[in-house]
Amino acid sequence: MKVFNKKGLSALAAVAILAAACGGSSASTAGKTLTIGISFPLNGSALASAGPARDGALLAIKEASIEGYTLKAKVLDHAKEGAHNPDQAAADMLTFVGDESVVAVVGPFNSASAKAQIPVSSEAGLLQCSPSNTNPALTKGEDGAALRGGRAVNYVRVATTDDLQGPAVAVYAKKNGAKKIYILDSTDAYGKGVADAFEAQFIADGGTVVGRTGLPTGTTDFSAVATAAKAADADSIFYGGVTSDGAPLFRNALAQAGLGALPFYGADGIYDGTGEGSYVAIAGANAENSYASQAAIENIPGKDAFNTKFKAEYGKDAEGYAYAGYACAQILVEGIKAAVTGGDVTRETVRAAVVDKGSAFETVLGAVSFDEVGDTTQRIISLYKVDGGAWKFVEEINYGN
Amino acid sequence: MSRIVDAVNAPFAPVRAYFRKHRSFGIFVGVVLLSVALPLLTRVPPFDGIQSTNAWVNAFTTAAIYAMLAMGLNVVIGFAGLLDLGYAAFFALGGYTYALAASPFSGIHLPFWPMLLAGGIVGAIFGVLLGAPTLRLRGDYLAIVTLGFGEIVPITLMNADKFTDGVNGIGGIDKPSIPGILQFTLINPWPMYGLVVVLFTLIMIMIYRLEDSRLGRTWDAIREDELAAESSGVNTVIAKLQAFAVGASIAGIVGVVNAAKITIVTPDQFRFAVSISALAAVVLGGMGNTIGVATGAFIIYLFQSILLKQLNTLVENFNIPILNQVDFLEFQYVLYGIVLVLMMLKRPQGIFPARRRMREFAPLKIGKGGLK
Amino acid sequence: MATVNATSSSAGRLLGSLRLPIGIVAFLGISLTVLGIDQFVNALTLGAIYALVALGYTMVYGIIELINFAHGDVFMVGSFVAMFISSSLLGNEGAITNIPLLAGSVLVLFALTIGVMAIVGALIERLAYRPLRRAPRLAPLITAIGVSFILQNVIQFFFGPTIVTVPQLVPIEWSIEVSGSRVPLLNIFVIAASVALMFALQLFISRTRTGRAMRTTSMDRDASSLMGVDINRTIMITFLIGSGLAGAAGVVHGLYYGNTSFNLGFQSGLKAFTAAVLGGIGNTAGAALGGFLIAFIEVGASAFGYGRWGGAVVFSLLVIFLVFRPTGLLGSHSGDRA
Repeated sequence: MKVFNKKGLSALAAVAILAAACGGSSASTAGKTLTIGISFPLNGSALASAGPARDGALLAIKEASIEGYTLKAKVLDHAKEGAHNPDQAAADMLTFVGDESVVAVVGPFNSASAKAQIPVSSEAGLLQCSPSNTNPALTKGEDGAALRGGRAVNYVRVATTDDLQGPAVAVYAKKNGAKKIYILDSTDAYGKGVADAFEAQFIADGGTVVGRTGLPTGTTDFSAVATAAKAADADSIFYGGVTSDGAPLFRNALAQAGLGALPFYGADGIYDGTGEGSYVAIAGANAENSYASQAAIENIPGKDAFNTKFKAEYGKDAEGYAYAGYACAQILVEGIKAAVTGGDVTRETVRAAVVDKGSAFETVLGAVSFDEVGDTTQRIISLYKVDGGAWKFVEEINYGN
Repeated sequence: MSRIVDAVNAPFAPVRAYFRKHRSFGIFVGVVLLSVALPLLTRVPPFDGIQSTNAWVNAFTTAAIYAMLAMGLNVVIGFAGLLDLGYAAFFALGGYTYALAASPFSGIHLPFWPMLLAGGIVGAIFGVLLGAPTLRLRGDYLAIVTLGFGEIVPITLMNADKFTDGVNGIGGIDKPSIPGILQFTLINPWPMYGLVVVLFTLIMIMIYRLEDSRLGRTWDAIREDELAAESSGVNTVIAKLQAFAVGASIAGIVGVVNAAKITIVTPDQFRFAVSISALAAVVLGGMGNTIGVATGAFIIYLFQSILLKQLNTLVENFNIPILNQVDFLEFQYVLYGIVLVLMMLKRPQGIFPARRRMREFAPLKIGKGGLK
Repeated sequence: MATVNATSSSAGRLLGSLRLPIGIVAFLGISLTVLGIDQFVNALTLGAIYALVALGYTMVYGIIELINFAHGDVFMVGSFVAMFISSSLLGNEGAITNIPLLAGSVLVLFALTIGVMAIVGALIERLAYRPLRRAPRLAPLITAIGVSFILQNVIQFFFGPTIVTVPQLVPIEWSIEVSGSRVPLLNIFVIAASVALMFALQLFISRTRTGRAMRTTSMDRDASSLMGVDINRTIMITFLIGSGLAGAAGVVHGLYYGNTSFNLGFQSGLKAFTAAVLGGIGNTAGAALGGFLIAFIEVGASAFGYGRWGGAVVFSLLVIFLVFRPTGLLGSHSGDRA
């Protein structure tokens, strides 16, 4: 403490210089090094959902080998105070842009960060692949064109957009006998977006929405909305949001209010396996009769092999976005390989190999290819139900091309 | 320690005397020298390995934006002694002002430069609107009102989605341009850096002039003893309102720049945490000392955004077997917390305390509510 | 309402002293009618938890004029300590239907958690605030922010960034019928336990020597010091009690909601702090009242479908209240402070 008192500043400066020096020694081995950047929010509550995506991407990069080149990964964390920060996300993208060895980027995780990153990566012509962005406005229509600034597509994603997932769940809920639904969302871009899409489809199919409200992330008390759902005489519940927004807390509050038997619908935000901190783990027995969706094919041929690999590498089960993160990195690696074959590895050739050629990529998620704005053409929504404490696949809805 | 400092300072005495006389010019020279030196420094071995010069320059730009924000907050807290815990709200209002005036969402595309002024005016208007009814409150109550305001603004921006596109935020905001000469881009950080350097200089000169003005002395008087100031015929409410308006308009202007730099505004960017880090910068830098506060904010930003994120690399290179297993990214906020606590325990007056305050507080004991 | 002056008639004084109870009863009556019994019970339960946390804010502010930003996180740590004790030390997994065993487990849980958190609170005071007793007033505010970061991240390191389940010892099926509605015993238990703790605190402050020392210290630290009050000890006891109550709130939170997470502290801290201000900061009874008021607003907003505006309403009310009645519901004059 004494030392810090007298030399506080100089100590700080020394640490800074040391850090800098060490950072320097590692990055000076450029030349034939190719780097895939990984840009996720990786501290605080953001880590729970984005961490698996990073692990998946790192695993794919570790496994890949490209003849004549050293392939490296560079991870930058854009979470601040525990939540993703678009400003830092844009700054990190600029860091990747400035590092000439970076030829492609996996990320980001959240749509708001994507909105900050896409204009930067687009100007630099740097390819990026998001495992999880589902906001339609990132790619489609005028909004998407504005983000790209009229340039060629450089942003692709392996997740299907919310405008399909919400309706798919609505169609299924209707089929399952839902007539009067109570909707709660987490007020953020994902939760509100998917709930809006669900509501529109549900009403279009002749259903009634008996109540709707939103409670922001960080809410712990769901008893009032549970009671409101009961008072509104709802026969089913929809929650737009992710597990950490409070989906299982809402489910528990419903059970406490005596509505534990009602079907509970959600999207991929609550389809997060059965591990620690997952929807099923927190809601426990109350999770029975819950339904969720996932914007991917259920029966991937290599799923078990991937799970084994993942477990061997990290000592924990693959969950959530681990597959999508892995798939993104796989696609980028394939793109780089195609560019190597073409004889010239630049950001532009890698980008063109993934986006412009319209080729399909064999990934852990199955065959993936991208449409003219960079969205996956694999428009399949799988639906799941909690049965006996685990998610069971019930059916898939294919929206084709 | 102080003897060494004196010895080092001695040869510069004439220079210091000159710049004390011509301070605005001194600030100008200082900022220009620094703004040239910093990018050069990033080409030197320790720093060039961390990230490219462009990324460094971008980081400096963001750090300078935070520094301007801290300088503005310092007018409110350090000069007038009003604790503002919702400063990010004005930052948000400036950002949204520009976003609505120049983005595909609103369909309007007004030029950037007049919007700088508009951001300042919007900030000042809201500052006065909030301040007028609340400034008669005693210090801490004002803090709480501003905290409430700081929460209301993002919630409103989030829920008024017809006007703000809600949680999605407004993206694709126009980048500034000087027609025919220069179009700002996102991957070339230099024009924005230049803009921020100019703005930084102007704001700093303005704040120093304000500090020395009649108004500045009025703020001093109010901060030290509001009752005495009032009895001496000072209209304290007007003076406090002016401090609030100045602070809010600086935040508004900086908000416009920030929105133009990132090209997106979302309600989440302006949460309580932003107000708190600006406050931390003011207190750590040394309340009341404009240069100190600016430097403090600059250093804190770089520490938080660059150094903490490099910890993993640092430890990997040391090759300490046990530590290699640890992901230091997860610890960055523990470290940030520890640094905040230790800094305050060891230097409660801040790293660069205001000269006047140093004299005031060092030997004396401070009674209850001594420093508001 | 102790501002009623001595010159008013005894009838006037009686009326004055009854204004608050009458106001509270009227408010509760209106709320009950508007919300219905189910939502009313929800609001009371939530309010009880906010109130317990708000007490710590208001006590610390009353005595050292520090907005203790770390207090919300102390509550959060309390909920984790309760979870750890309940599931790991006592080996509970879920509801206990054996009544003596249930009572024993709950008592042990409360005692241990309050004890641990009281020590944690006192340690924080000793390490992060006491050295700054004579420093500029904003310095401890910054260390409080630092402590808040440290607590959050230490908990996150040990328990992970996800929501963590806590055994709900009181069976949620147990309930009584009140005019056709089912009121869970769990809610009644939470309300009763919180109110009991608040009364114990009031008694402690008004009847004991230490309580008196706390009151005098908050009025004039130097004068009380001259009168033989050990200031450091008194402030430390304030932190012990405030943090102990936050620990109790942590226990109650776990029993009622069955979960906790490392970022629980920020939002609840902000709400509890608002409650303390609404009630008149420094005033313990006011803090409790403020906690209930906020809970009623939030529950009301959710009940009528305006949940996403709940926060804005709470903070707007805060601003309006401070402008028109800056001393809060019950006033914050030093006589009531603790």
